Amino acid sequence: MSVPLEPVEPWLTGGHLACPGCGAALAIRLAGHALGRRSIVAVPASCAGTIGANSLHTAWQIPFFHTLFESAPAVAAGIRAGLEAQGIEDVHVVSWAGDAGTGDIGLQALSAAAERNDDILHVCYDNELAMNTGGQADGATPLASRSSVTPGGKLTPKKDLPAILAAHGVPYVATASVAYPEDFLAKLRKASLIRGFRYIHVLAPCHVGWDIPPEQSIRVTRMATTSGLWPLYEIENGVKRQTVIPEPKVPVREYVRAQGRFRTLDEAQVEALQRWVDSRDA
Amino acid sequence: MTALHPPAAIRAARLMDGNLAAAWGARLARAEVLPMYPITPAYPAMEHLTGFVERGELKARFIRVESDHSAMAACVGAALTGARTFTVTSSQGLAYMSEVLHQASGLRLPIVMAVVNRALHAPHSRWPDHGDAISQESSGWLQFFCETVQEVLDTTIQAFRIAQDERVQLPVMVNYEGYILSHAREPVHVPDQAEVDAFLPLIRRRHLDVDNPLAINAASNTEVYWGYKYNQHRAMGAAREVIREVDADFRRRFGREWGGLAEAYRTEGARTLVVTMGSMAASARVAVDRLRDAGRPAGLLKVRAFRPFPADELVAAAAGADLVVVIDRNIVYGAGGAVAREVKGALWGAGLRPRIAGWIAGLGGQDVGVEGIERMVRASEAKDADALREPLWYGLDEGGEGQ
Repeated sequence: MSVPLEPVEPWLTGGHLACPGCGAALAIRLAGHALGRRSIVAVPASCAGTIGANSLHTAWQIPFFHTLFESAPAVAAGIRAGLEAQGIEDVHVVSWAGDAGTGDIGLQALSAAAERNDDILHVCYDNELAMNTGGQADGATPLASRSSVTPGGKLTPKKDLPAILAAHGVPYVATASVAYPEDFLAKLRKASLIRGFRYIHVLAPCHVGWDIPPEQSIRVTRMATTSGLWPLYEIENGVKRQTVIPEPKVPVREYVRAQGRFRTLDEAQVEALQRWVDSRDA
Repeated sequence: MTALHPPAAIRAARLMDGNLAAAWGARLARAEVLPMYPITPAYPAMEHLTGFVERGELKARFIRVESDHSAMAACVGAALTGARTFTVTSSQGLAYMSEVLHQASGLRLPIVMAVVNRALHAPHSRWPDHGDAISQESSGWLQFFCETVQEVLDTTIQAFRIAQDERVQLPVMVNYEGYILSHAREPVHVPDQAEVDAFLPLIRRRHLDVDNPLAINAASNTEVYWGYKYNQHRAMGAAREVIREVDADFRRRFGREWGGLAEAYRTEGARTLVVTMGSMAASARVAVDRLRDAGRPAGLLKVRAFRPFPADELVAAAAGADLVVVIDRNIVYGAGGAVAREVKGALWGAGLRPRIAGWIAGLGGQDVGVEGIERMVRASEAKDADALREPLWYGLDEGGEGQ
């Protein structure tokens, strides 16, 4: 399937405040293709919470609410209940959060909404850092990644949020990447047809945090998948299926050496990372 | 004035504790979304409501959230769609909600919340005081404090009407003390559903609406921000008249009234005015009666609305007083009781200069009772100006037992 250059019903119009090459804005733009304008979005503290609206101006074309940092899934649950109480149907209720708002400070409310199987879609747009505050490490930051608080590289591995959500037994969990728009859109569309709690975790680069040239965002993000570090899959009612078989595969070295954030990695660590990917694929 | 129930009316009443009364209030108000998380001693209110929903007696969506923080966040989400929303919390749960409380009031959402007052940590305590609600005094919520179980039910119904009033559009807390009111049973009149419906029409304001998309709570510039805050404060002020109107209309329809923002009890010619909130007002009434019987012209001002504060009612009640005895079931460390602070400010602003004794009493469930209030009044009369500059502590400063 081909992706039109302009979304049919974009959620965000021009004039938003995202940086050029912003993966977060791209993810939001793509979502408009799949979900359309009968959608309400709750976004916690994050770049996505601030790029689309400022004071009395907004680029959002759908109802948007900027929630507190911990709260997007709980707010979405309340929105769904409020709509149901009024008999309003055929509206997508989406909580859309960054990696920290999803998996760190937001994890408690997210886990509860998943366990209740609330009829909401949660999208985690993951740039693997807390970028809205300038690039601190968080639970989704990969091992050895530099950040403003891990100048020598992060000492612990990335939290596996899709696996945590899958452990809740929800009807739909998927990983995605803005570098694979057809796959991302197909998953959004599939999720939009399922009732209950749905979770999509989309890798959305921040060239500032990754320390790459903005025009390299998509090329580098694709390598996260082709190197095996960010596999694309979906788990539908407990059945896992890989949705993209990357060909050709690239070595992990090529992915990490393309980014400034991994500059403290030595060759031995790169090889260890490669062995870990190979053992996981085996 | 609290109407005394004649025996026939008692026979028509139901036995209820405060938690059941709050649940009935929300049921009669036809609350539509109920996000709640259990905390002692508030959880029975939630259980009653889930029972109503389960049995089809209340058509509402219950959201079994994992925390009070998410309870209030879900209230915000539901209220933004225009749904009538209610929750209940207590103590640590209220403190945990704090940041969302500020957001709810800033968004001008008409959420109603029952708060079962319980002492905050540390040390750990299960017993009542007003410290939890007072800790949220600047959260932008209206705050009512109830004296009886009947008042809990009536105030909950009134709260929905006040919250949604065009001049107010602010969330409302209905406070009642843990165990003293939450678990004590009293005969309660349950208003007729049709009469409540007539008293409380639903005003729906849909802020999140796919047919009229708005971006809500965008990052604001300075001018927008302080303008919002000014309007919020104005609305809190406008709530005073709305509270009086709503209570008067309630009396016309249901035969009961609660004094609006504050109830003046035997304040005519009072030289000594007792001021307090919540269940302590019940003991204070009897203390005032006894003082009057003993020839002392005493009166009581029961503060029903702590936010907005009833400055006018206080000034009227204190007009002839040379001593005001304020009894606070809370402490603002380094300052004193929150009500005493308000009383001093309001009287100063009106040019009244009675001696003011601020007492801290009943913290963490400390038993006060009628005799305790009488002792505080007598001790206040004997204190010199220097002694009244600091808060007085019941159990330390009233003489007699407990010294």
